[in-house]
Amino acid sequence: MKPAFDFRLFPRGLVLLLAWMVLAALPSRAAVSLSQQIDQPEANVGDEVTVTFTIQGVRTDMNFPDIQFPKVAGLQVLGTSQATNITIVNGSFTGSISESFHISASRPGNYVIPSFDISTPDGGVLHTQPINLHILDNSNAPPSAVPTQAPTPPPQVVTTPVLPNNNGPVVMPPNNGGVTPPANPNQGTSSISVPTEPGGRPARVFLAISPTTTDAYVGESIPVRIEFYIRYDSDAQQNSLPTIRGSDFLMNNLSVHPMEEDVLVMNEPYRRESWLTAISAPKGGDFPLQMDHDTYWSKPVQAPNNFPDPFVSMFLARPQLVHQNIVSNQAMIHVHELPQEGRPANFTGAIGHLLASGTAQPSSVTVGEPVTLHFTISGEGNFDYVRSPALTPDPNWKSYVPRAKMQYDDESHTQGTKIFDQEIIPQKNGTLPLPAANFSYFDPNTKQYVTQSVALPSITVTGSMPVATTETPAANDTTTATPFAPAAGIIPNRIELGSLSENLTPAYRQPWFWTVQGGLAALVVLGVVLAIIRARGKPNPDHAERALRERTLHQEEDAMSDAVRRNDSAAFFLAARHTIQLQLGARWRVKPEALTLTEIRQRDPELAETLTPLFAQADEVIYSGRASGEIDLAQWEQHVRRELLQAQPA
Amino acid sequence: MQFLIQRAGLLLRLFALALVLFPSLVRADTDLDAANHAYTAGSYEESAKLLQQLITSRGYSASLCFNLGNAEARAGHPGLALLNYERARYLAPGDPDIDHNLQLARKQAGLNTNSYRWWQIMLRSISWTIWFGLIVGCLTLLLIAIIGSSLKSSPPAFRKICKAVFFIFIPLTLLLGFVELSVIGFNHRIEGVIVAPDKATLRYSPFESADSTGTIPEGELVTVEDRHNDYLRIEARNGHYGWIQQKDIEPVVPGSFDIQPSN
Repeated sequence: MKPAFDFRLFPRGLVLLLAWMVLAALPSRAAVSLSQQIDQPEANVGDEVTVTFTIQGVRTDMNFPDIQFPKVAGLQVLGTSQATNITIVNGSFTGSISESFHISASRPGNYVIPSFDISTPDGGVLHTQPINLHILDNSNAPPSAVPTQAPTPPPQVVTTPVLPNNNGPVVMPPNNGGVTPPANPNQGTSSISVPTEPGGRPARVFLAISPTTTDAYVGESIPVRIEFYIRYDSDAQQNSLPTIRGSDFLMNNLSVHPMEEDVLVMNEPYRRESWLTAISAPKGGDFPLQMDHDTYWSKPVQAPNNFPDPFVSMFLARPQLVHQNIVSNQAMIHVHELPQEGRPANFTGAIGHLLASGTAQPSSVTVGEPVTLHFTISGEGNFDYVRSPALTPDPNWKSYVPRAKMQYDDESHTQGTKIFDQEIIPQKNGTLPLPAANFSYFDPNTKQYVTQSVALPSITVTGSMPVATTETPAANDTTTATPFAPAAGIIPNRIELGSLSENLTPAYRQPWFWTVQGGLAALVVLGVVLAIIRARGKPNPDHAERALRERTLHQEEDAMSDAVRRNDSAAFFLAARHTIQLQLGARWRVKPEALTLTEIRQRDPELAETLTPLFAQADEVIYSGRASGEIDLAQWEQHVRRELLQAQPA
Repeated sequence: MQFLIQRAGLLLRLFALALVLFPSLVRADTDLDAANHAYTAGSYEESAKLLQQLITSRGYSASLCFNLGNAEARAGHPGLALLNYERARYLAPGDPDIDHNLQLARKQAGLNTNSYRWWQIMLRSISWTIWFGLIVGCLTLLLIAIIGSSLKSSPPAFRKICKAVFFIFIPLTLLLGFVELSVIGFNHRIEGVIVAPDKATLRYSPFESADSTGTIPEGELVTVEDRHNDYLRIEARNGHYGWIQQKDIEPVVPGSFDIQPSN
């Protein structure tokens, strides 16, 4: 949703001019009044409370008054901020300035901010009223929850469903860069508390994480939903994907394109980007899970407070692109070590709810021909640690390392099917049962290891094993014989050294490899650019010809006008005919001198008719040296100029 | 006859001079002969030691790595054998003898074969020097063509040829550049061979106290993806991955573990 009018399009100078016009229209003796406000009269120790004093009816030349916040034992002023406002109601202007004090209490109790005076620059005095503040002791409260509910605004929840959480409420998000924490996080199991700004509005941007469980085992995949909320009036842009803080957890890769939705948060429109991923802990213990997200967003920035005129300073305020690391809420994850008791020998770290099955193809082979075992393990769990079912050692079969293929069914990569193909070669003939295959995993629900036997058929093996030819070891062989050494078929040593190189490091890792190629490429590009510039700078023969023709045309026109002034008929007609020839020559792209009346008649008979008197007069002048009869040269000049206009080249 | 005798004498003198000037040539052959003799005599450990010394002093070659792979295989060191066969294949990607012994050793070690496909052989067969020469040659030709076509003093026919060369070599150079970058991307993986006796332990995290996630057999070729102190995060061809101690693995390209992986 975009605003109907973009104020950034308004020229800054015009804004300033309008501002001064508004200021000039303000009444010079407006009635000045004072109002005061506290954002939460009841808060916890350490919470930030904002007290705002607003002076209304200010004049154009009034600076910010010097407001001295009274000292109160136990209260500390964390900082101040100032703001200016102009309101136009029914055509009349009202100006106000306000100063906010951000305070915090160091101990619980009832505080009273006493009445004090504010001296305005025009000599007046304004009196404040006492302000009561009740501070609660939150030392026994959970670190992530606020035990009392602030009066305003009431706690709000996101109105769209989130990932169900079976392990209690989601802890509230942290204070994201100046916004106050949510008032009451305990809003049920399917809600996310919203951090708010000092004024009560929900934060411009915030990050919320929802793990499905807070109890897990080492290596177990925990699905986590990550949600990034951007208020519609904040032009936030992501700098990167959310990342886990610290090194207590490993996270699956996030999708570059998150799911985007429009949601309402505290009746404010937000854009929500969400990811579904999974985390796992490599070691046991209690670890806080928290994420952060690099973000750029537009933030209004006030002009310096000491600017001479607060109204001008208001207009100097401008939005600024701010880089901020948005931190999510925190969840404490209890990671348990896997029990040693009952751990199967073939356990590889798989945790979850998994089902193994297997087949073998083909059912009949010859000795030495491979049989492919096809194992499928499906369900929910940490598939990174799911390995192929272990085969019981069997001298009748020689097994090879299996190949794995993974198909995930969900975005968090915790559900899916892992497929293993393993070659196994019979060592003798007969009807051979395949080795027993067992798959073990840890079930976090029952807190027990589970071992599944994968049923495999027997294979009919025909033929016999070829006898390998072995080399006779030398008499002086001192090397211990090992079963590995490939006995048969090894191609013997080479007797030549071959091409030697000092190291195997590829050339592209050397700087010169890129420097030489890059330098030459740059030279080629430079040469092409220079050639283009040079080609564009060359004089164009067409342009030169046109310029010459136009210059000659102007000269002939001047000669024509001069002849009219001197009443020189001969000179006029010669110049007029040449002018017409030049114009028509350019139009038809022929030499002007070649254009006779006959030539013109062939190309444009109508034009030739109108030009006949002119050419006749010109011929007569050429052959007789003078024009016939009394001639009105001014009228002839107008006629020629009309013809020139008609004869203009396209 | 007299002429032939004179020529033979001249050749002998030249050969003697070459032996004086380049004694290392003679020594290299002698060392190789000694290593091969030890191999033939069944002293595989001795042969491997001599070949390793030869590589250290003279450098790598496909033949030396191949012979060293044979010696290590006979000596019962599948990891080192496969490492040297991989190095030999790296230097001579299309050599059928190297691939034969490599696959034989892999099979013997209980590993799947990993022969290169035709396009891998083709791309890997072109050395970086050739790529460099091709690109630099094309760029130089382009530069000459640009200068030649811009010179007013050059004959019109020469300028026309220069322009033709320019327009032919521009797409060719771009194509070669694209292929070169693709090959670099393909070869950018840092590979290593497991040399730990029997098998190496994979761990969840790069710490000795971390739980084991399984083992990876000796001789397996893996891709190194990350590094943390003395641990490397590796991924095997079968999809297994985890952290492994650096002492359990040797790089195919010596020194490549010192370079921080791109990801």
